[in-house]
Amino acid sequence: MNQMTDSPRTILKKNLWTDNPIFVQILGICSTLAVTNKLANTLIMTAAVIFVTGLSNITVSALKGLIPRKVRMIAQTIIIAFYVIIVDIVLRAYLPDISKALGPYVGLIITNCIIMGRAEAFAQANPPMLSLWDGLTSGAGYMGVLVIIAVVRELLGSGSLLGFQVFGPNFTNWTIMVMPPSAFFLLGALIWGAKTIMIKKEAA
Amino acid sequence: MNRDSIIYVVIFTFFTAFVFVFLIALADNATAAQVARNQELVTAEAFLNVVGKQSDSSEQALADFKNLFGQVEGEAVVKANVDGTPMLVKQFHGQGLWGTVTGVVATDAAVERFIGLDIISHAETPGLGGRIEEDWFKEQFRGEKILPEGITFRKGEGGADSDSENSAVDGITGASLTSAAMEVIINNEIKTLREAK
Repeated sequence: MNQMTDSPRTILKKNLWTDNPIFVQILGICSTLAVTNKLANTLIMTAAVIFVTGLSNITVSALKGLIPRKVRMIAQTIIIAFYVIIVDIVLRAYLPDISKALGPYVGLIITNCIIMGRAEAFAQANPPMLSLWDGLTSGAGYMGVLVIIAVVRELLGSGSLLGFQVFGPNFTNWTIMVMPPSAFFLLGALIWGAKTIMIKKEAA
Repeated sequence: MNRDSIIYVVIFTFFTAFVFVFLIALADNATAAQVARNQELVTAEAFLNVVGKQSDSSEQALADFKNLFGQVEGEAVVKANVDGTPMLVKQFHGQGLWGTVTGVVATDAAVERFIGLDIISHAETPGLGGRIEEDWFKEQFRGEKILPEGITFRKGEGGADSDSENSAVDGITGASLTSAAMEVIINNEIKTLREAK
């Protein structure tokens, strides 16, 4: 682990590709299965995750000199929960429709392993601005994978994209695509594809 | 001060929790009025939607709601008169698969036909049972005949049941339990409306 010396560019590349939280670290899988059947929900959800990973990382990093080692995980959880509840409150007040559509999943961002993972593995040992960048790019890595899965699922499961019908009325919806298992299959295929490309690149 | 001493840990934990919870309380308080208004608006729009009315703005919706239904007390049956047609309108709640489903249902004065149905909130699985809030599902109830024994949810073809004489609507593919729960809820409401007519 030589994260101390990583440049912003390396961090970006790691979080989006070589160390992607989803298809390399296999973190945050439960929300991947849950919120990817409609693209609009996925976009808001992942934007919320980016916001929370970024700000919780910068806060944890800024407070790291004050946090006692014994209770550091609890302190991180409080910080993460704080930002998640703020997102929830803002959505409820100003975007009530989306808040309704996401239901309990916004609150469940607190338990997303990516956020805790970044706070513990990166923010605890790095300066605040770099931690902010790491959080934002980790969230973006999560977003990228979820958006790909959501596009496939909404297209085949509902015949639409962002709520607009794409395939016309004669399209038979693939019911399996709106159910969580389909995200599993797609994610498996995606990991397979990404790993194959990575191994080829390494060999070359 | 030693960062691992008990005193420091207790003070730090207390202080951190206090600051963050205080900020959350502040944010919650600042948006409370907006949230309450959203809730009021959602209910008003559900009532208007059920009786087939559209409003251009949220102010208009709240005003129309007052005009048509007056002061609605919780889930009381409202006897309304919309464009000369007497009807019964009622907000309801019932047990869905995962949580409470709340909505509004309207029938004609004799409880023989539905006027409409709208869902205000639910906790069903998004994309499956959650589709009870989609228009194709709710529109099946418009003008649907109500038999003495109530209405049935069928295992349909995945589309909507367009026959409004058969007293049946299509349930949701992949959400049999939510569909069954909705059937119970709607039939209970029909009973309540019959007692109140």
